[in-house]
Amino acid sequence: MLTATMRRHLISAALLAPVVGFLAVVFMLPLGVLLKLSFTAPAGPLSTYADILGGWLYTRVFWNTLVLAVMVTAITILAGYPTAHMLTRLKGLTLTLAVYGVLFPLWISVLIRTFAWILLLEKNGPINRLLVGAGILDAPAAFLFSNTGVAIGMVHVLLPYAILPIYANMLRVDARLLQASDGLGASPLATFRRVYLPLTMPGVAAGAVLVFLLALGFFITPALLGGANSMTVAMLIETLVNERLAWPLAGAASFLLLAAILVLLAVASRFVKLGAALEVR
Amino acid sequence: MLTRRRFVGTAGATAAIAGASALALPTGPRRAHAQGRPFTFCSWGGALSAMEKEAFMDPAEKLFNVKVTNASPTAQAKIKAMVEANAVEWDLVDVGGRSIFIGRDQNFLEPIDYKIVANAKNLDKRWVHTHGVYTSTGATLIAWNDKAFPGDKGPQSWKDFWDVKNLPGPRGLYKLMYYNYEAAMLAAGVKESEMYPVTPEKAKQAIAKMAEIKPHVKVWWTAGAQPPQLLSSGELAACSVWSGRLFDALKEKAPIGFTWKDGIAWGNAWVVPKGTPHKDLAMKILNSALTDEAQTRLLGIGVYGPVLESAAKKATPEQAKQLIMYPDNLKHMMLLSDEQAGVYMSKYEEDWNKMLLA
Repeated sequence: MLTATMRRHLISAALLAPVVGFLAVVFMLPLGVLLKLSFTAPAGPLSTYADILGGWLYTRVFWNTLVLAVMVTAITILAGYPTAHMLTRLKGLTLTLAVYGVLFPLWISVLIRTFAWILLLEKNGPINRLLVGAGILDAPAAFLFSNTGVAIGMVHVLLPYAILPIYANMLRVDARLLQASDGLGASPLATFRRVYLPLTMPGVAAGAVLVFLLALGFFITPALLGGANSMTVAMLIETLVNERLAWPLAGAASFLLLAAILVLLAVASRFVKLGAALEVR
Repeated sequence: MLTRRRFVGTAGATAAIAGASALALPTGPRRAHAQGRPFTFCSWGGALSAMEKEAFMDPAEKLFNVKVTNASPTAQAKIKAMVEANAVEWDLVDVGGRSIFIGRDQNFLEPIDYKIVANAKNLDKRWVHTHGVYTSTGATLIAWNDKAFPGDKGPQSWKDFWDVKNLPGPRGLYKLMYYNYEAAMLAAGVKESEMYPVTPEKAKQAIAKMAEIKPHVKVWWTAGAQPPQLLSSGELAACSVWSGRLFDALKEKAPIGFTWKDGIAWGNAWVVPKGTPHKDLAMKILNSALTDEAQTRLLGIGVYGPVLESAAKKATPEQAKQLIMYPDNLKHMMLLSDEQAGVYMSKYEEDWNKMLLA
């Protein structure tokens, strides 16, 4: 006789089996092959890892990528949080329009959106003309071909990934708790800081993790909007794969990026409950 | 190279490596699978692919009574992955010229069968190699914004391009070392005859020369669409540009000037992946693209020029203005060596990236 618990476990396993099997074949197996490939350099199995960890160029590019991803995540969350809050206050047609406004960019190719930013941000583009025309700037600003341009482009692409989890979280916040805080004499700022913000932190953490992970692997936006020093790990791996055909080195760079991500997630999970953040209710 | 946007192919190429090598492990040879598909020609996409379809592939379908599938985008990494996995899906590929030599050295290309590709004997020897043939020509040229430098006041040589004192304004150059080695050497006064073979000293000299102009280079472009756009809008005063992209923009009356002087000429190279089930047909189609008739078709399309001189000579004066192989234009230019580019791109790309990041 199966106990109820055993039966529950069996059902869970059966329900998970298709996805696990799928991932094993199309993700874990190739990943294993790539790992094996990373040890096949002519100079010795660990030479690729030594090249990357010991080389000025590679450590610099890893550091660049990390700094860019942290910066972009911070800006995206700061911009996404109030937007998500506004969404919770809308109803009917305005809500539909606003949600489409958030989702619509996701349906346009990143390549096209990035080219569009070049047109908008260039020296004689509409944004500079507006800023100079309104007297905010004396001369056109150099938005493009620097980390500023890359950050603008990446934040735009990544915003929905921050807004949606935060919005979903905010919808679950019981409005009566805010009224209670208000009723007990807390200022709006105190209610926000001590009630609303802690209750929406799981959404913020989920959004931040999503955005950060995506930002670490960005390729098109830094390649088109960045300057000479906006080189990311993804761009470096692309050159190694396509130009130099140095696949073991590319494999090692990929695994070091993966390792860095896992370490960062482990550290982050000590401070925020990632499990709770990703939980869907 | 209208859509030489490497990144489009990257995700695919990377996936192909992982996927193809994974498939190779458990299943072994898969050649039988490839036999059932139609003949496939793969190129860069955009105007180049459109041109090749119209001038070469559509006529070849009629000539050999076969169906040709036109695919894009191309990538040498994908060819290598396909060949190693024994699952070749492309039979004839337009790819960066360096791949002719990298593919020869790394053994992922078929040698060209010159018994079948007999028309190659009419070409300049520099376009004909053991593992690939160039079928059309382009160039990397110096171009400028008309307002920054009216008429022909723009940089007339790479020396001028480096001269930011007399010709001030932001510059743009290609992101990789490709073409830039040649440009930097010309700017340093090294003659075409002394530029190759690439040695560690020469590579160092080229990268040091690049470091000189680097503070004035606002954009390191990666996509062929960028230079005409950045020059038209005035974001850049002067920039290196692919001829096909430039002429496309000039058709739309873009405010851009250019010179043939110090142009770096190159070709669009065709190769045959090792182990294709359609090898003979690939050689026949390659041969058919080199006939005077097929090469002359390129003149009317006006994107990239013929590689065959007898076809180039038939150009009207208007068409000749945009032809690499036209003697009056060619005499100002140097011919890039893809074999040498393959050397500097693999050996010195790391030093190049260090220069960019420094």
